Amino acid sequence: MTTTAVLAHGLGGSADLPIPFTYAVVGAAWTLTFTFAVVALAWRKPRFDPDIPGRPLPVWVTTVVDAPVTRWLIGAAGLAFTAWVAVAAVTGPQDSRNALPGVFYVLLWVGLVALSLFLGPVWRVISPVRTVLRLVRVTRDGVTFPRRYPRRLGYWPAAAGLFAFVWLELASPDPGSLTAVKIWLLIYLAVTLAGALLSGPRWCSHADPFEVYSMIASRCAPWRRNTDGRIAIANPFNRLLSLPVRPGTVTVLAVLLGSTAFDSFSAMPVWRNFVDTHTSGTWDASAVKTAGLLLFVVTVAVTFSLAAAATGGVDREGRRALPGLMAHSLIPIVIGYVFAHYLTYLVEKGQQTVHALMGSHDAEVYYLLSMHPSVLASLKVGFVLLGHVAGVIAAHDRALRVLPKGHQMTGQLAMMLVMVGYTFTGLYLLFGG
Amino acid sequence: MAATVVLTGAVLATAGCTSSTEEPADRSSATAAPALSDQQAPPARVVIDVTIKDGQATPVNQQVQAAVKQPVIIRVTSDAEDELHVHASPEHTFAVKPESLQSFQFAVEVPGKVDVELHDLNRVVATITVQ
Repeated sequence: MTTTAVLAHGLGGSADLPIPFTYAVVGAAWTLTFTFAVVALAWRKPRFDPDIPGRPLPVWVTTVVDAPVTRWLIGAAGLAFTAWVAVAAVTGPQDSRNALPGVFYVLLWVGLVALSLFLGPVWRVISPVRTVLRLVRVTRDGVTFPRRYPRRLGYWPAAAGLFAFVWLELASPDPGSLTAVKIWLLIYLAVTLAGALLSGPRWCSHADPFEVYSMIASRCAPWRRNTDGRIAIANPFNRLLSLPVRPGTVTVLAVLLGSTAFDSFSAMPVWRNFVDTHTSGTWDASAVKTAGLLLFVVTVAVTFSLAAAATGGVDREGRRALPGLMAHSLIPIVIGYVFAHYLTYLVEKGQQTVHALMGSHDAEVYYLLSMHPSVLASLKVGFVLLGHVAGVIAAHDRALRVLPKGHQMTGQLAMMLVMVGYTFTGLYLLFGG
Repeated sequence: MAATVVLTGAVLATAGCTSSTEEPADRSSATAAPALSDQQAPPARVVIDVTIKDGQATPVNQQVQAAVKQPVIIRVTSDAEDELHVHASPEHTFAVKPESLQSFQFAVEVPGKVDVELHDLNRVVATITVQ
């Protein structure tokens, strides 16, 4: 068999059970209660500020983390892991037992978020391209990069890269195809390496989809650097505000949220029947799915931007800046939703992937979460709710700072409605429709 | 005599199908339950029917409920070869032949939503919600 099966997410195995109706109702009720409580009763003055320093950790933590030895060791480990995966992908069994799709769809896509959420923006340390770039700079002293990264490109290349990833996972003709994953990764490596050699590390921080995703997830991490560079424990709400607002910031978040929603949506029988009856070939079906995926992403981007800008008392310029200024409040919603969707994948498919990488395909997988459906359902509703509450709080606090006096109450209503809408849609999709 | 032949045929057929699932436990349960006689089938089994004709599978996207470890039987009438994939953990793969009323039996060990897919036609026959 040369091709693998056409699988959801490019991986085999079962999907999560839908959350029970009562869980969805409880989640929806809490959503409304929290939102109203925050808007009506919460603080009237902004509290969060990215400049508030965190509680510094002992100096040796910063020293160890920043030591060149540490950086080189972790970078080398990243490079070695990449090489290992490449060898396993080429020499391993060329069917669904191959480790590559698991590394790609589970460890990279979901594992990176979990790691960044707990440790900070790790991709810049482990990224193989960054390590190669560092090697180039060390071996050739005084290397200069021929082109500056154009400022107006912002995060758009990263948004395109992230969309390319979710397209392969959710809308391409055969997400499980090893060849497709290999081609995707080769293009990614070629583009990122070429860009990095052309524009230097700025290309990695702006245009590498995984580095941008990792940076976004790390805004919820409990760590930050104070202005003196020391690593400190910090309030994630202060840290959320440090999300750089560049062209494409809202689009990146819309791709992440819209694609996750489309992922559940595309498992619904209504959608599957629609695709089956209106298409004949696999490329037909892929085109319809691509349109659906795009529609979800565009809907998130448009609703969020409109809601952020829906206030009185600002001029044209100010209105245009508002979606970017509010964008950080989408991060907790994205993270909560990603965990609600992919936690079982990370825990259970992650084990299979690690086993496949070790070459021990028969090793036993512990279905910790799937075996306890009610625990899993509670966790899912919990993640969605937690993300929603944090998003609403962040949006409220920001609205107090950026909206003009006299419009601070009415100006955030549209945003609150949209966020309630996202959460209800999320719960509905998790409930299975 | 004829009955024995039919029965042996059935046993061989089921054994042949389950051999690719590499689980001895599966095989014994498959031989224990004669798959073709649905009149005496206890209600504890879930049966999914599908017909493949002229490159079309009907019905598709069926929604089915099952319990963990409950035997699930898929009865296929087909005019072409195909491959049936059961996306459970672990996965099952059955070879579909151009025959009427072939039966494939399996049980799902881990709760979740399991897609049963015809590989060549690229259609999801049924989604089993296993609780």
